[in-house]
Amino acid sequence: MPVIDVNGVWKTYHNHARLGIKERLVGRRVSAERGRFARNWALQDVSFTIEAGRSLGVVGHNGTGKSTLLSLILGTIEQDRGEIRRKGNIGGMLALGAGCHPDLTGRENIYLNGSILGLRLAEIRQKFDSIVDFSELESAIDLPLRTYSSGMSARLAFSVLAHAHRDVMLIDEVLAVGDASFQAKCATYFADYQAQGGTLIVVSHDLISLQELCAEGIWLHEGKVVHQGPIAATIECYRKFIVETIGA
Amino acid sequence: MIGRNLQTAELLYLLVLKELKVRYKRSVLGYLWAIANPFAFAFVYWVAFKFIMRVQMENYTVFILTGMFPWAWLSQAAIQGTGSFTNNLSLVRHVKLPKLILPCSNVLQEMAHFVLAIPVVFVFIALSSEQIHAVPLLWQLPMMLVLQAFFVFPITVIGAVLNVYVRDIQYLVGIMFSVFFFVTPMVYPLSMVPVEYRAYFKLNPAYWLIDSWRIVFAGDVLPLGHIASVIGWILAFSLVAAWVYRRLAGRIAELI
Repeated sequence: MPVIDVNGVWKTYHNHARLGIKERLVGRRVSAERGRFARNWALQDVSFTIEAGRSLGVVGHNGTGKSTLLSLILGTIEQDRGEIRRKGNIGGMLALGAGCHPDLTGRENIYLNGSILGLRLAEIRQKFDSIVDFSELESAIDLPLRTYSSGMSARLAFSVLAHAHRDVMLIDEVLAVGDASFQAKCATYFADYQAQGGTLIVVSHDLISLQELCAEGIWLHEGKVVHQGPIAATIECYRKFIVETIGA
Repeated sequence: MIGRNLQTAELLYLLVLKELKVRYKRSVLGYLWAIANPFAFAFVYWVAFKFIMRVQMENYTVFILTGMFPWAWLSQAAIQGTGSFTNNLSLVRHVKLPKLILPCSNVLQEMAHFVLAIPVVFVFIALSSEQIHAVPLLWQLPMMLVLQAFFVFPITVIGAVLNVYVRDIQYLVGIMFSVFFFVTPMVYPLSMVPVEYRAYFKLNPAYWLIDSWRIVFAGDVLPLGHIASVIGWILAFSLVAAWVYRRLAGRIAELI
């Protein structure tokens, strides 16, 4: 029984967001085919399933729909066609610092972030020490987040997510900012997490660590799935494509 | 189900707390600023209308203050709440939240400011040697707090959703409230308006809200007509807000 079942999903972004008076007056006229009825498919007919305890790595160039795919799975945006079936609760780290405020301290952000992920205050209180331990930020926990480096912020956010016990975790690139020792710690965590039946979907350009982290892979190109299968084969295909395009 | 609602309530509490903390964290006077703003305006209008325009009215100070603080809640919540989706990109797009929690937190934030200002209003009522009637206040004050929260929330939702599609809405809302400040009997009593126009002034939803507050602060019992009008407008706004939200909320995350 798959935890995530993505079935024939299409997604387009309409271009009609620009209705401001300023755009009307001084904006360049957009030609009909590029205008509001133009459909630029961000995703075209994407299908895959993922079983509990498995891990999926998504590779592809910038702007080919990797993040759109994660947003659709998380449910912050909706697909135009197709269907996504989800089982269990989903937690995501789609952007660095999502749900954090720079003027709040690390401590306050842990509470806010935990609550956004769906934890009860009592749970956060109970797990608080463990979260701080995992993040290795004891000395900075009462400093405002704006004094943190991006690696420190990522550590804080990931530590909260790691303690939220989600059935499915979506990670978009953001872990790359952590230092080597924290990345090693994350790798150990993910191994445990999957052993306990957790499901992982990771978007990354770091092909080496993606290969270590995931068992299966998907290569997206211009919104379409080009290759799907074991991670090693997917990355191999993607690499070949990069070499060819650079060569040409 | 109950656990889920409690969790949402806790999140709402944390979001309101966050905004209040963030707004005053690096200022010296802190929360006093929340009171200072409507207070300064009340003072300016008091000077302008009492001494220059010579409005003839007993207890004019109390009249202005009892209108000014609920107005500050109404207008600030609506103006800032209109940006509640557009200004919180990461909360809308990158995490899964019940979206309406964002405009709701704006309403509660301004409500907190209002509640902090209530003692100030009572000090002025006491100074003007009016009696404070405690008994009707005890139930009418909480009732009005709830009514106004339900009054402001749908307006804020409408503004917030439309602002995602057309960013001009935030400026429009600001101007609208400046106009309505003078259309609503805020600095002049309705009795100064020529009789033949008074009926039109009563078409203004804000009139019923503000006038209700004045009656409640004065310690009188609210007439049924006032309660009915306020609730009627709440229903009207809520219907529009529900319709707008259903029609347009689906694409909020990708448009901001």
